[in-house]
Amino acid sequence: MRNTTPHTARARLWANFRSEWLSINTLMGYAFVLPLLLWLAATILYPLLVSIQISVQNIKFIGTPGEYVGLDNYQRVLSSPYFHAALKNSAIWVVANALVQTVLAFAAALILKQQFVGNRIARIWIILSWVVPTVVVVIIWRWLLSASGGIVNYSLQALGIIDKPMGFFSTGNTAFISVILINSWRWFPFNAVILLAALQRIPAELYEAAAVDGANVVQKFRFITLPSLQPVLFVMGLIGTLLSFNVFDVIWLLTGGGPSRATTTLPVLIYDTAFKKYRLSQAAAMSVLTGIILLVFAALFIRFLSPASEDSDER
Amino acid sequence: MKRMLSTLVIVLVVALMVLPQVPATAQQKVQITLWHMEQPPHRVERIQTLIDEFNAANPDIEVKQEPQNWGEIYTKAPAAVAAGNAPELLFAIPDFTPILKDLGTVLPVEDFVAELDAAHKFYPAAVAQYTYEGHTWAVPLYNMAHSLWYRKSVFEAAGVEVPTTWDEWLAVTEKLTTGEQYGIGLPANKNLYTDQTVYDLMINAGADEIYNPDGSLRFNNPQTVEAYDMYSKLYKFSPPDSPNWAWGEAEACFANRSCASILQFTVITTYDTQAEGDPADLGVAPIPYKEGVENPGTIAYVNAVMILTDDPAKVEAAKKFISFILEPENYGRFLNMEPGLFLPVTEDGAVAESFWNDPLVVKYKEQVEIMVKNSTGGRLFGFTGGNTFPSIAAISAQNLLAQTLQMIVIDGMSPADAVAEGQRLMEEAIED
Repeated sequence: MRNTTPHTARARLWANFRSEWLSINTLMGYAFVLPLLLWLAATILYPLLVSIQISVQNIKFIGTPGEYVGLDNYQRVLSSPYFHAALKNSAIWVVANALVQTVLAFAAALILKQQFVGNRIARIWIILSWVVPTVVVVIIWRWLLSASGGIVNYSLQALGIIDKPMGFFSTGNTAFISVILINSWRWFPFNAVILLAALQRIPAELYEAAAVDGANVVQKFRFITLPSLQPVLFVMGLIGTLLSFNVFDVIWLLTGGGPSRATTTLPVLIYDTAFKKYRLSQAAAMSVLTGIILLVFAALFIRFLSPASEDSDER
Repeated sequence: MKRMLSTLVIVLVVALMVLPQVPATAQQKVQITLWHMEQPPHRVERIQTLIDEFNAANPDIEVKQEPQNWGEIYTKAPAAVAAGNAPELLFAIPDFTPILKDLGTVLPVEDFVAELDAAHKFYPAAVAQYTYEGHTWAVPLYNMAHSLWYRKSVFEAAGVEVPTTWDEWLAVTEKLTTGEQYGIGLPANKNLYTDQTVYDLMINAGADEIYNPDGSLRFNNPQTVEAYDMYSKLYKFSPPDSPNWAWGEAEACFANRSCASILQFTVITTYDTQAEGDPADLGVAPIPYKEGVENPGTIAYVNAVMILTDDPAKVEAAKKFISFILEPENYGRFLNMEPGLFLPVTEDGAVAESFWNDPLVVKYKEQVEIMVKNSTGGRLFGFTGGNTFPSIAAISAQNLLAQTLQMIVIDGMSPADAVAEGQRLMEEAIED
């Protein structure tokens, strides 16, 4: 065994540090990443810090001064029944959208994977609802569902399902279901395209081998398709949930959070508090709390639902 | 070479003498920026025509317009004031003015309004909506007032007369409601339109005052409860999707004949372009009132312009531009940027040839005359009887009149309980 003096140990440490952290490759890597880090700091970190700063003041209107009030806004928000109701609505919104969109996306992807005449056109056609601007989607659906002249009410009456026109946005439940379905209609093609790409990467040999072993359709789906799609489903689940949670435009434009707050999710409540109630600091406190909720969700999702990586499989 | 150099020197000297004059001339012009929320292209175009005429007649002033929208202005204008780049002129409705007034940027204009009043004679109700705390905060420009719109032929076919009292109104509305037709289109969305229609009924129940003279709220009173009760009764004869309505849906319902009547500022443009366009069949009437109410009326929004500068030259230029707009030969053209919607706030404007010679106004003259008559007695919640308090801005911004209605027609609360809860929400909204 060689004798190591403190001096040589320090020298070795320094050499290691230099080779790992100050090598050309490492520095080049940081140089490439730096602009993105600066951009993220300017567009996410700075607004976040400003939000936290505003949330501990009593600012009402944007651009007006406020005084430091500590955690008063957080206390008020956490004890507000409107915040609790909006949080509950957001949870229902996310789960319902995830379910509806996943089922529709899976169905669409499986159909589009089949070879049939017009397959290529169908693949392009299906993304139309996703390409159309939100405001157009909203106008289309408002008129389709209108009780005075809307085609949906007309068709339901003609088929004898209802005897007089119904207001899809008239009661809390029907409004919430309508908004969820419209949002899902808008977003499921995006998920379908991602799933289709993933489905096409599953080797056909796996299905052939399974067929030789006597596996039926359900078993093929359960033991080949689903595990193969797990990484894609994980990413879709994480990003989709975060995106879905933050949806504001469709809800605001369709119902404005009503009727009687039935479709008020957290983003709608935050907007309403900041720009209708003119309680900017309370809205900032809600934003910070929402950010924390989403951060915790993302951490738990990654911790418990992350598919085993290839590295860990090898180990 | 020598000659070339001396020529160059002369050119440079002349250039030095001339060039500073160019910016100096530009600087001498007083620049006025006008923010308004009349975004439709034809309105922007009409305003630009007037601006061009004004700029041509006043070479020392340059007015330019920057159209905004109502959805953003409540946050954009205070932010612009805070950043020091607010416009010199900003259009307003009564409940928007207190927000900017509280920021200390609105110039009191009572003296200027008095001058204009001497020349054009403002309707007192128009100035009242901008006069409180000892000052007038904006110059009234145009009015918008609700009326009851209906088709004469539909009423005749049903064998009913135009109602004037609530009992008649309820009976007529019920009779007009048939398989494919709703007696009335009434909104129940939590938005400004519903606020307006609710207030129509409050006025006609004798509940037009929201504040007591001491600034406390008097929303929770028997008359208000009666107004909400009547609204909920009429609402039963309205299309089932009206909890999601804005102005457009109501107009469409009237245009496609699903609604026999609606409460609206105007339907003239929609009726003329998307429905029959027969002026003889388009009925307009005052909103029915509860028997015994002494001072029935309608909601009326007087739109005005605020001056947001204290620079004497800019103030003078801004006043000159406002005076130009209110001159009868220009005022009618200004109002007719949207014919049949914007109504005069001055007596000489109401008889101005420039107002009455627009083709659409000529075609619907009878209707416009009734609209003007209705508008002169119009009122706005929070701006009545001299009991005006800036906190109305918070109540209005949250659409609490509409929210109170939703408690009744969506949540099933009794009108009395809903009005009590409405008052509680209003008190919460105006607390510091």
